[in-house]
Amino acid sequence: MSSVSATPRYRRRRWRNRLATTLAIAAAGLGLTWLVLILLVLVVKGVGGLSLEVFTEMTPPPGSAGGLLNAIVGSLLLTILAVLFGTPLGILAGTYMAEYGRYSKLTLVVRFINDILLSAPSIVVGLFVYEIMVAQMGHFSAWAGAVALAILVIPVVVRTTEDMLLLVPTTLREASAALGVPQWLVIRHVAYRAARAGMITGVLLAVARITGETAPLLFTALNNQFFSWNLNAPMASLPVVIFQFALSPYEDWQQLAWTGALLITVAVLGLSILARALSSKKVQI
Amino acid sequence: MSLAIHTEVKEPAETPEETAKLAEKVSVRRLNFYYGAYRALSDINVNLYQNKVTAFIGPSGCGKSTLLRILNRIYDLYPNQRADGEVLLDGANVLSPKQDLNLLRAKVGMVFQKPTPFPMTIYENIAFGVRLYEQLPKADLDARVEDSLKRAALWEEVKDKLEASGLSLSGGQQQRLCIARTVAIRPEVILLDEPCSALDPISTAKIEELIDVLKRDYTIAIVTHNMQQAARTSDFTAFMYLGELVEFDETTRIFTNPRQQRTQDYITGRFG
Repeated sequence: MSSVSATPRYRRRRWRNRLATTLAIAAAGLGLTWLVLILLVLVVKGVGGLSLEVFTEMTPPPGSAGGLLNAIVGSLLLTILAVLFGTPLGILAGTYMAEYGRYSKLTLVVRFINDILLSAPSIVVGLFVYEIMVAQMGHFSAWAGAVALAILVIPVVVRTTEDMLLLVPTTLREASAALGVPQWLVIRHVAYRAARAGMITGVLLAVARITGETAPLLFTALNNQFFSWNLNAPMASLPVVIFQFALSPYEDWQQLAWTGALLITVAVLGLSILARALSSKKVQI
Repeated sequence: MSLAIHTEVKEPAETPEETAKLAEKVSVRRLNFYYGAYRALSDINVNLYQNKVTAFIGPSGCGKSTLLRILNRIYDLYPNQRADGEVLLDGANVLSPKQDLNLLRAKVGMVFQKPTPFPMTIYENIAFGVRLYEQLPKADLDARVEDSLKRAALWEEVKDKLEASGLSLSGGQQQRLCIARTVAIRPEVILLDEPCSALDPISTAKIEELIDVLKRDYTIAIVTHNMQQAARTSDFTAFMYLGELVEFDETTRIFTNPRQQRTQDYITGRFG
């Protein structure tokens, strides 16, 4: 359009810009490649084993037909229990840190410890629950599994709850207080409402995190070849079944492991997408 | 700009006899305020008179908003903020540790600089505060919501969408919603902290008209950066500078014949 010629300095800058852009795109592509490859392999290897039996039959002995029903139900049950235990605790702790104890030293300590817990290896959590529950009770149980998973849920929920509540503008709290609204009502009716989408996202992320956990369950819920509602007894779960079946020499078990892995991945992917959709939605009533 | 101020001052000064009849709704006595170790206000003495509008003017950072935030003790939300001295509301010291803060704030309402509708419907924004103090039958609550919105000159604009989100309103409407919300719980004093600074001229004019109407029933304090606004809306004006109250007098007097040179300099635009 204009005949202004680029100075050498400008040309160099433009060149550097192109180089940086290319590197950034390549890095993003590299990251995505692995994800796509993993998904691809899972779909290719897993879809073949998908059938009605997967959802209706128990895990079989080697060489006979079967499905993953006990593991699927076990995983659902353990996850639901863990969320039921972990979410209220996490939300209450996060609420304390963001609202009541915002300026207290205790909050600093709790936040620090929570961050450690957030990145604690899950096998350590499993061992811990083994010591305090399994060893005391004398047997593995679904209860212990749910508690181990709940310990993984808590720090995620604490963190997101606190972060989301801290994002609620101070002006909104001042405005409520200026009406003479007591603090607990400000939290319940104003702060929670404004932070709701983010807090739900946190819970969903926590669910996504525990859905694939194997290590904490190995020491707690163990496994169960049979369908069981008994929370006082060992219970099957998808990750543990995958662990066991994938390591086995039997081909039919390996196939079931692939199928189970596909199911977990799809479930986690679905939850993540739901969480993303919720958190990107604008705060509304 | 500075010259225009003088022509905008309304009505002649009240006679001393009239001033004598004024009832002190809020009296601030020897008030100091600290943010941590920093002293933001020193030895403030000022009155808010019943059914009058008192404007607080002064350059940024002079302590106007800080003073307002003491009157309903909103500063209490934060650690390291501390006031000493006395703030008498109908003769009782609200700075006393025994003061119930929620009751105080129900009596001394506040509207902030930025509109702060709650994430609820327009109706709920108003009903929320009312329900805290009164258990009204649905019809009475509806009437209260309508009355409050009318007082805030917002009813005509929202009467068909009371179930819409308060956040869906324009900035000027949101600010009037906040005023309606404050009025709905029937306070005695209303504190306005730069209520028009985020608004366009038309919304500003509406709110200024509103202030004139509201003072029939309430005692009003307004912090403003806009001297014409202070001149237009208030009966009394306090000029503050660097955490001190320089001059407090009838608005007409402050804007025509202030006693202090610093006040004179400020209102004529020589600094600030």
